[in-house]
Amino acid sequence: MAADLLFGHAHLLLLRTGHSRRAPGSGARGPSLSQVLQPSNRCRWMSTKRTRSSSAVEDGSGRSHLSWKRTLRKQQGRGMSAIFTLNALIHPHLPPPFRAKRNTKRSRISARLGGDPETTGDERQLNLSVLRFTFGIPGFDESYLPRWIGYGFGSLLLLNHFVGSDLANITPAQLRTEVLGLSLAAFSIILPYLGKFLRGAGPVNQVTLPEGNEQLFVMSESLSDTLKENLAWATYVLLRNTNTIAALISVKGELCIRGYWRTPDDVSKARVLDWFEEQIQKIGLSDLKDTLYFTQSPDFGFRELLPNGTRSLLVQPLLQASDQEVYEMGRNEGFIVLVSSMSYAYSDKDRAWIKAVANKFMGWSHVENRC
Amino acid sequence: MEAGTALLRGFLPSDPRRLRLRLRLRLLRRRPSPSFPRSVRASSSPPGQYRGPQPKRDLIADWVPNNDGLVRSLPIYVGGASLLAVLFNRTVSGIAPVADASSSQSRADLLTLGIAVTNILAGLVWLSIRPKSVSAVEPLGAECRRIRSDLPESVVSELLWVWESLSTVTCCRSLAIIYDGHCIMQIGMGAKSSANDGQAEDVDANKLMQGSLYQGIINSRAQSYLANLSLYPGRSELPFLPTNTQAVILQPLGDKGIAVIGGDTIRGFTTSDQTWITYIGEKLDAALANYVDNNTLLMQERV
Repeated sequence: MAADLLFGHAHLLLLRTGHSRRAPGSGARGPSLSQVLQPSNRCRWMSTKRTRSSSAVEDGSGRSHLSWKRTLRKQQGRGMSAIFTLNALIHPHLPPPFRAKRNTKRSRISARLGGDPETTGDERQLNLSVLRFTFGIPGFDESYLPRWIGYGFGSLLLLNHFVGSDLANITPAQLRTEVLGLSLAAFSIILPYLGKFLRGAGPVNQVTLPEGNEQLFVMSESLSDTLKENLAWATYVLLRNTNTIAALISVKGELCIRGYWRTPDDVSKARVLDWFEEQIQKIGLSDLKDTLYFTQSPDFGFRELLPNGTRSLLVQPLLQASDQEVYEMGRNEGFIVLVSSMSYAYSDKDRAWIKAVANKFMGWSHVENRC
Repeated sequence: MEAGTALLRGFLPSDPRRLRLRLRLRLLRRRPSPSFPRSVRASSSPPGQYRGPQPKRDLIADWVPNNDGLVRSLPIYVGGASLLAVLFNRTVSGIAPVADASSSQSRADLLTLGIAVTNILAGLVWLSIRPKSVSAVEPLGAECRRIRSDLPESVVSELLWVWESLSTVTCCRSLAIIYDGHCIMQIGMGAKSSANDGQAEDVDANKLMQGSLYQGIINSRAQSYLANLSLYPGRSELPFLPTNTQAVILQPLGDKGIAVIGGDTIRGFTTSDQTWITYIGEKLDAALANYVDNNTLLMQERV
């Protein structure tokens, strides 16, 4: 069963984008959420675009560029369809007092005050009272305003110092003010950076797909069917639900690779798996014992393996914590490698879920016939 | 579970020249020998095995979320203090506090005031979007762990994995899975039943399936998130959950079953939790349907 669905119809591999955009789902090219629940399409996580082994790279890079852009837009619609229905079901359950408490304070100050639709998505996880200052210009991120004001006023201060004042007779009072002003400007400049880490920070940036990578979905041949299905489901869910563009799961030496990777051109399609195994050997990931989370570009040692435009990397080893001998020997049962093109891509909650998915594959050899 | 290790700055005394030239590039490739333990990790992995880099400890990213309140009000204090400082500076140096742009001093003051006001406003915005923290409510009831005995081990391990993940990652405290007309699993906290002498109450699958909650879910085939259960009148259809369950997610499993997930915090399930639960529901449906297909005869006999 698993084998037929592995190279099924051209269902696009979708990536999760932020909660921000609420574009309605445009024409479905793949199975929608409701279709999933039909028995014939139960294992939709198995099907994907034809891998490199069976078909060539998409017709021209221009087209493929378009195709994943369309994918992203469609993903917004589809991903949001779950949220739409959730929306529809949640609001009726809340009585007016709660609603009033949440959506108040839409007062107006100078520019337009937006209740941007992004916050309604966040409201469900945080309780935001929407006092948000916005110019209403699309694509203009107001949270960076302090930074620009810092740069602007700081340069004006310097201008005033050198051009606007009599350099020979600068009073100490003016110097004091200027020092104060410059340090305030510096503080303003780093303010958005600090704000990024606050709980409930603004909408997540969209995941962008860097150039130069190709979509891939390969699995080792020697896996049992149930393990194959579980791996396909795990990679599918990780790619859709987190800010991941590429995933690699290794269980007892067998690999499952999915997403946008960059393999060198001289590696033939049949030898892709071998190439990955070589790279893993070089880095020694099988001996890893701690979870690694690189929030910004990982340093050398990983460059060859990872796709272009990697910013965050999460490596989660599968360890049997109770097995003391295994622990000391320095081997793990497998690992999960997740790559993202955003920095700080995996929040605590994301990482907890990834650990839960990793738990699924621990101790796999002990249970023969899992589904 | 992060490996927050300090950046390895291992020095090999034998190669000072190379290090000076390519300090940054080569540094991470050279692991120190066992006699120079530079890593601050607790584990004692023999060096040289894992040859990749270690992540740096990101101080800001760790500190800011932990001192959320302080950071949010920081710009206000900074802006307010500098506002006062500017005025103080003016009075101390004997210049009249007149806000005009005639002298360079005034211009500098105005610019500084502008930045101070920006900071204050930014601080106000941050304070206004502070998420309200809701505390968890300990569910009142009895622990239970009931799984149907005739399920194969693969299905049981799948179900147990679902329970482990949900209880560890989300605020879930009770889980009940009804499939194909029977209650397959009831695990976590359940309402104390008077009949069973302190044990958790059984799930009456038939009654649940006739109720409006179940019918609504199966018809719409979408997850339902009751963020604040106490306000929802259909609460009476879920008697097996502890009485003070705060939030409930009802996840349909295909068109034959439902998973009832009870949590201990109002609005405790985040959006990402919901999507994860949706996917887990699909997986569970595939697993259970597989089992049911293989055992239709057995099920018929039982009924």
